Amino acid sequence: MCSDAIKGCIFNIQKFSIHDGPGIRTIVFLKGCPLSCQWCSNPESQDYSVNILFDAEKCNRCGKCLDACPHQAISLSTSGLINRDKCIQCGLCVDACPTTALTKSGNLVSVKEVLDEVCKDAVHYRRSDGGLTLSGGEPLAQPEFAEALLKEARTRGVHTAMETTGMASIDVLKKIIPLLDLVLLDIKSFYSEPHKKFTGVESHTILKNALVISQLAKEVAVRIPVIPGFNADPQSIKAIASFITHMSNVSKVHLLPYHNYGQNKYQLLNRKYALVDIKTPNQTLMQELKQIVESFGLVCQIGG
Amino acid sequence: MKGFGEPSARIIALREQILSATPRIETERSIAITASFKETEGQPAVIRRAKAFEHILGELPVVIRDGELIVGSATVEPRSSQIYPEFSNTWIEDEFERIGQRNGDSFQISQEDKQKLRDTVFPYWKGKTTSELATAYMSSETRACMDASVFTVGNYYMNGVGHISVDYAKVLKMGFNGIIKEVADAMLKADKTDPAYIKKEQFYKAVIISCNASVQFAKRYAMKAQELAQSASGQRKAELQKIAEVCATVPANGASNFYEACQSFWFVHLLIGLESNGHSISPGRFDQYMQPYFAMDNSISGELAQELLDCIWVKLNDINKVRDEVSTKAFGGYPMFQNLIVGGQDENGNDATNELSYLCMAATAHVSLPQPSFSVRVWSKTPDQFLNKACELSRLGLGVPAFYNDEVIITALVNRGVTLKDARKYGIIGCVEPQCPGKTEGWHDSAFFNLGKLFEITLNGGKVNGKQLGPVTPDLTGFNSFDELLAAYQKQAEYFVYHLTTADNCVDISHSERAPLPFLSGLVDDCIGRGKTVQEGGAHYNFSGPQGVGAANVGDSLAAIKKLVFDEKKLTLQQLKAALDSNFGHGTQAAVVQSNQDDAFDIVMEAVKKVLQENGTLPADTATISRAVAASSSEGESIRQLLLNDSPKFGNDIDEVDFLTREGAAIYCREVEKYTNPRGGCFQAGLYPASINVLMGTVVGATPDGRLAHEPLADGVSPTRGMDKSGPTAATNSVAKLDHFLASNGTLYNQKFHPSALEGETGLRNMSSLIRSYFDQKGMHVQFNVVNKAVLQAAQKEPEKYRDLVIRIAGYSAQFISLDKSIQDDIIERTEHTF
Repeated sequence: MCSDAIKGCIFNIQKFSIHDGPGIRTIVFLKGCPLSCQWCSNPESQDYSVNILFDAEKCNRCGKCLDACPHQAISLSTSGLINRDKCIQCGLCVDACPTTALTKSGNLVSVKEVLDEVCKDAVHYRRSDGGLTLSGGEPLAQPEFAEALLKEARTRGVHTAMETTGMASIDVLKKIIPLLDLVLLDIKSFYSEPHKKFTGVESHTILKNALVISQLAKEVAVRIPVIPGFNADPQSIKAIASFITHMSNVSKVHLLPYHNYGQNKYQLLNRKYALVDIKTPNQTLMQELKQIVESFGLVCQIGG
Repeated sequence: MKGFGEPSARIIALREQILSATPRIETERSIAITASFKETEGQPAVIRRAKAFEHILGELPVVIRDGELIVGSATVEPRSSQIYPEFSNTWIEDEFERIGQRNGDSFQISQEDKQKLRDTVFPYWKGKTTSELATAYMSSETRACMDASVFTVGNYYMNGVGHISVDYAKVLKMGFNGIIKEVADAMLKADKTDPAYIKKEQFYKAVIISCNASVQFAKRYAMKAQELAQSASGQRKAELQKIAEVCATVPANGASNFYEACQSFWFVHLLIGLESNGHSISPGRFDQYMQPYFAMDNSISGELAQELLDCIWVKLNDINKVRDEVSTKAFGGYPMFQNLIVGGQDENGNDATNELSYLCMAATAHVSLPQPSFSVRVWSKTPDQFLNKACELSRLGLGVPAFYNDEVIITALVNRGVTLKDARKYGIIGCVEPQCPGKTEGWHDSAFFNLGKLFEITLNGGKVNGKQLGPVTPDLTGFNSFDELLAAYQKQAEYFVYHLTTADNCVDISHSERAPLPFLSGLVDDCIGRGKTVQEGGAHYNFSGPQGVGAANVGDSLAAIKKLVFDEKKLTLQQLKAALDSNFGHGTQAAVVQSNQDDAFDIVMEAVKKVLQENGTLPADTATISRAVAASSSEGESIRQLLLNDSPKFGNDIDEVDFLTREGAAIYCREVEKYTNPRGGCFQAGLYPASINVLMGTVVGATPDGRLAHEPLADGVSPTRGMDKSGPTAATNSVAKLDHFLASNGTLYNQKFHPSALEGETGLRNMSSLIRSYFDQKGMHVQFNVVNKAVLQAAQKEPEKYRDLVIRIAGYSAQFISLDKSIQDDIIERTEHTF
């Protein structure tokens, strides 16, 4: 039996995920990330703690949250409702809200709780060769929890995959990567300076870790988010592809065209979205970049 | 037609004949049956029916349409309808003046024909219909339950029964001449001293008259084809000569090649409808009984075989049925529910998928019309290739095939006394009802029972509109525990299910007395052996199947009361009752109803009631029948939000509510199976709604699941629309927790997908995996709505109702309504490319 002692913070369990590893999968999203990519489509995942989200369109301005808040952090006249400096994310306003305009992102849960939920779809994994995918945030940022989740999944016979930025200590990688059937590893840029500018961290640790991961992993799929103004050009992609040829166990490279589908979540968090003017790269460019990757002898697909 | 080849020019043209046809009401049949009945007064009912059938088949115009290879029509115009006054008829006359003016599904009728019907047909039938006799048999208590809309037995109350799959193979093999010989032998061998033989003899004579009439009908077609051939030239001349040759041979004799088998099949199928007026006359396991003729036919080309099938598929859309006005508004497209199923196993438990199974799929894709209701059987040994092909067909967006689980249905039928061999041969009738073809009178669509109403009555202590209708039990405020509530629900179920089965049996008796069907009976085993019609219990297996509607509403309501009132005490029973009585502050039921007490509303309600007794899919916009008043921010609305948001809902793989839903449905099913019918069979419940869930919702007040008064109930075993928020796997897991074995008259589960979620090889594979894993968990049936642009736009307007809509975005799939509107717009624009 798995221990209930180890708990972690997750912000979502998404079933019937069909593009993050083989078959029909369940994605468990762990909260907290060492990176802060400007295009991040799950901005509520970046903090390690709970976030309160506010959807003004669902609010009927009943004021029940005002009465519920012990810290006077809510005012109907405040844009975004919540004064984020005063808010301690206790969630009492969320409980009081009748319309689900206020929601909470982040739950402290045990390994058993997660796997019990994940295994409700075991019958679907069996038929589709699917399984569990950890995502985030950065799952490696909660190493003990991630390790326990994966061990328990393996005990229960569930195929394991993880989406990762690769940002972690070598010790953590050594513990966790061997527990995975598939690693979905993001490589965003070979160049350190833009990497730092757009993600908040430099690229060299990630690149170094990528080599370690590929040695430890059974199978790696490298995912490149293609972001105009950052890496959506032949030179940037060429550099990444060239780097990938030095990795082992890479089965496939995915080019993921930028989309702004996370943009509205920034509003819910009362945050600013930095990439407002950026458009999804067109098919011609994506095809060109795909050919570049393939010219290095790599198998490449557009999309997950 | 990706993956299915292209239809021939002939099929495209025949299809166009259907699409461009203006349906008419034709009167030949009704005039002929009336004339015949006038001449046979005083004779045994079965003889009168046989003679009338003979007269009808002698009088009906013989029609061979341009380009047809398979011939035989009920009407001169394609997609037109005869009239069947012997079941019920007053509504037809009432609607004469409006019937051609309908916005959809209109029927033209000439002044001359109206006059003929008024003068010579309708007056004769006054007091002689099955409907009137059934009413005479019913007690006032039973009628009171129907008046309160607890259940309806309307389909067979007003119309012929249909809902059967006959032994087509028998005619293919021995022809009607063979059946006549079989009957003659039975007469020879019969014990003439047995007093029962007096009636048997009449039955046998009636079967012989009917079979001869069918042979003569085909001969008329042979002559007509010969006549047309004389003035035709070239290829068509040869085709008509071939038609003449085929119709001279079958169905009088057994078929000796594939063409003859196809034509013989069609005559049988057409004639069953002409005798009975029922819908859901289902070809059943077409790939099984046709395969021998395909296999033996060395001379036929693959193209011709496919084209013959395609011709049959078109013909299935030529048959039509006139329905009342509002019914047709609700059912755009003239549904006939002719269920044709392929795949599955043979009587020995081996996989029976064959070459024809695939050709039938291609025919469905080629013809792309609403009929037949195309189905596939799936079990552990179903080839992946077959299932993938079926998924590919589903992905075309036609809403077919429906998928059926052998592993559940066979066991469920065996549990009802069907032998294992027979159970393995099951086909599907109408919507989702399983039966052993050629041996069963299933009365599958015998009634719809409003589980939502039952629950409302339970909360009101057995009262409807303040008047005691059911047994006295505590009202909502009088329950001291959750168990007391369940016990009251059980007690109310006992009372109303008793009256349901009684009402059904009244209708059943009226059919056996006034509308015995000798032609049909010759094609259903063991009518000849027993010497009686199917209506009198001649079939091996006899059932009556009333459907429960609104299981998810009962389950969600039970869960809400259990959690919020008894477990967490967030709500008192008094608060809940006040909230329900006020319709959560949205205007009370009484006020709403009264405000609409104009004639138009009454007409609509009555008509919708009738419509909804038929099987089918109701377009989403009829949901506007519900008359929710604009939301208010009252106390009632707060309670409603609590019920909606703070209580688990069926469809999310949450045991506590899923098992309550199972129990709510099972209480009904277990009551139903206690009863027997006059044909010597048992009742078995189904859990499918057709589309009556919308109508039934209009007569149910606010419910504790947060549903407003008059809103639709949940459809079939599907979760309440928009309440399954955890994706398709969680929803299937919940649905699979119901007892599908118990609901052996069929369960129906609709799932919606956007085409992009099923794209490519991976999409097909995931779809077939989902079907397999739902079936692994003992679900009975599933069908997929691969959603188009119109639905997405509707989802934008009413997101609450489409929370379960999953779509593919970029590298991932997501819930459509959770996306920002600009992205939704983007995806809506993209949809056209997907198709």
